Amino acid sequence: MFLALKEMRHSKTRFVMIGIILVLVSWLVFILSGLGNGLAALAASTFKNMDADYVVFEKGSNASMGKSLLSGDLTAELLALPDVEAASPMGIIFGSAVRESGDPEEFKLDIALVGIEPGSFLEPAAAEGTGLDAGRPTHVLANESMKDEGFKPGDTFALDGTTEKLTIAGFVRDQTYNHIASVFIPIETWRKLAFAAPGSDKGLKDPVNAIMLQGKNIDPNAIAERLPGTETVTRAQAVQGISGYKEETGTIFMMLGFLFVISAFIVGVFFYVLTMQKSNQFGIMKAIGAKNGFLGKAVISQVFILSLASIAVGILLTCGTAAVLPKGMPFRLETSWVIVYSLVLLAIALLSSLVSVRTVVKIDPLKALGRVE
Amino acid sequence: MTQGLEMRSVSKFYDAGSERITALDRVSIRVEPGEFVAVVGPSGSGKTTFLSIAGALLKPSEGEVLLNGKNIASLPDKQLSDIRLREVGFIMQASNLVPYLNVLEQLLVVKRMTGKVTPADKAFAAELLADLGLAERMKHYPEELSGGEKQRVAIARALMNDPGIILADEPTASLDTRRAHEVVSLIARAVKSRRKAAVMVTHDERLLSYCDRICRMEDGKLSPMEPAAGSVLS
Ligand SMILES: Nc1ncnc2c1ncn2[C@@H]1O[C@H](COP(=O)(O)OP(=O)(O)OP(=O)(O)O)[C@@H](O)[C@H]1O
Ligand SMILES: [Mg+2]
Repeated sequence: MFLALKEMRHSKTRFVMIGIILVLVSWLVFILSGLGNGLAALAASTFKNMDADYVVFEKGSNASMGKSLLSGDLTAELLALPDVEAASPMGIIFGSAVRESGDPEEFKLDIALVGIEPGSFLEPAAAEGTGLDAGRPTHVLANESMKDEGFKPGDTFALDGTTEKLTIAGFVRDQTYNHIASVFIPIETWRKLAFAAPGSDKGLKDPVNAIMLQGKNIDPNAIAERLPGTETVTRAQAVQGISGYKEETGTIFMMLGFLFVISAFIVGVFFYVLTMQKSNQFGIMKAIGAKNGFLGKAVISQVFILSLASIAVGILLTCGTAAVLPKGMPFRLETSWVIVYSLVLLAIALLSSLVSVRTVVKIDPLKALGRVE
Repeated sequence: MTQGLEMRSVSKFYDAGSERITALDRVSIRVEPGEFVAVVGPSGSGKTTFLSIAGALLKPSEGEVLLNGKNIASLPDKQLSDIRLREVGFIMQASNLVPYLNVLEQLLVVKRMTGKVTPADKAFAAELLADLGLAERMKHYPEELSGGEKQRVAIARALMNDPGIILADEPTASLDTRRAHEVVSLIARAVKSRRKAAVMVTHDERLLSYCDRICRMEDGKLSPMEPAAGSVLS
């Protein structure tokens, strides 16, 4: 620690410059992870925030809402199965909300209409206004983001291409699906909208897209046996089934991976070159009795101090960035991920410094006695 | 237990391709505490090799090396570095100070290698530096020192762990005559007052008057010489 700090103080510019690169890398890592989180939430928060453990889809639908169609009658059958504590049907279609107030610009907003049974465990708690009510089939719960577009509780909007008019009963938080605002509506109303075209329900009774289950010990295979024509997956698998979700998060993770590799090389190469430059000095210290451990510790603690400081600055910059990013930007920083990525960056830096430590171990103390040129 | 340095018929061979180079050929020498021995000889005769073996930097191919009565000829590397730290003080050619440590820290880092630095260590370091006329330079960095001052810091550093043996390999190589005299006289004084067994390799015959004994190295063979014979040295 002593040697490490002394040297860093003595050659400030050198270490500040490499520190800046590490700051930029960690900053980028945190921003990417924030964007990844934000995008993932935007793509699937309605799913992720649901208090369900498993999702039953139509067989062959690859856990995709859009491809799955089941009869709502299955809900009762599922409830009768062992380990199923609760079951509730759900459906999703996409539509456009058109503001009523004679808007000359024909304002339209893409929304995801999520049909659920009012009062079921799938209904999110209203942050503002009231919840769903089976007695008021056209009253809906909308995602808060619609407030930014000027909607207020009690507002009525039309659905583009239909004669239906919906009224906002209340707002909910963090409910988006496929990057657009979710609007929860009673499932009866949803059916009317979703299967307006004759025959689109394939003749199923009370059709829905999927049935959400609660119950930690549910065995998906057992359900598939009892109810042929269904496939049951965990909620996490259902999230993966959302179109574009895997590709989107995959891209972000790939970039993060590259950044980790880059930071490993930056730290590794920089300290390697530095160590090579100092090999004469290390040789002298070895000649006067320094052990490999003493010098290795000096290198490692230097890497540790530098990376820790850079990561800390990176976190500060990220918080600053988060504060100035426009509201609509899908950016969400989660403390747990910041901690995980900080530790990963730190671990990578320390690991790549082992190359330098190996170099130190190999330096011959005889160098000091003016023998080797 | 015998103090000081003793070598008994030490040889060192290097394998260069198919050839075997004999860098040291059955060298025997005894240096008592308080004795200052000079080693002279032509380039490539084996002086540095001799010093490296005496200082536990290099293992001999044959023979015994006794530091304060302990045979170090076949100790493992880890113990050798410990011997170097505690028993041997090296004074090397110029520019062997750590560039980012000030003069006081140059000495204290030696203590750090053994563990903690105590206030007594600091006092001892300050005393050593004062002894060598560096009291005013304690907070200076090597780049701010003259060549002679740097070598004086190196002397102080060699004395810091209170070793039994001081080894100097051409300590005046980068100094002008006046500074060279200054530095060697300081080494001689420290050797006498602190009772160290000291060996200095040098090319400069004018410095031999500071030494008690002179040995000549030639083709790996070490032979004693009379101090008065300084004028016939290489
Ligand atoms: N690592 C090595 N491998 C092979 N031969 C070596 C090695 N080190 C030294 N030698 C040889 O051993 C001999 C003695 O070398 P040494 O460095 O001890 O000489 P020296 O007396 O210190 O010379 P100088 O006055 O030039 O410093 C030389 O012939 C040298 O080439
Ligand atoms: Mg030499």
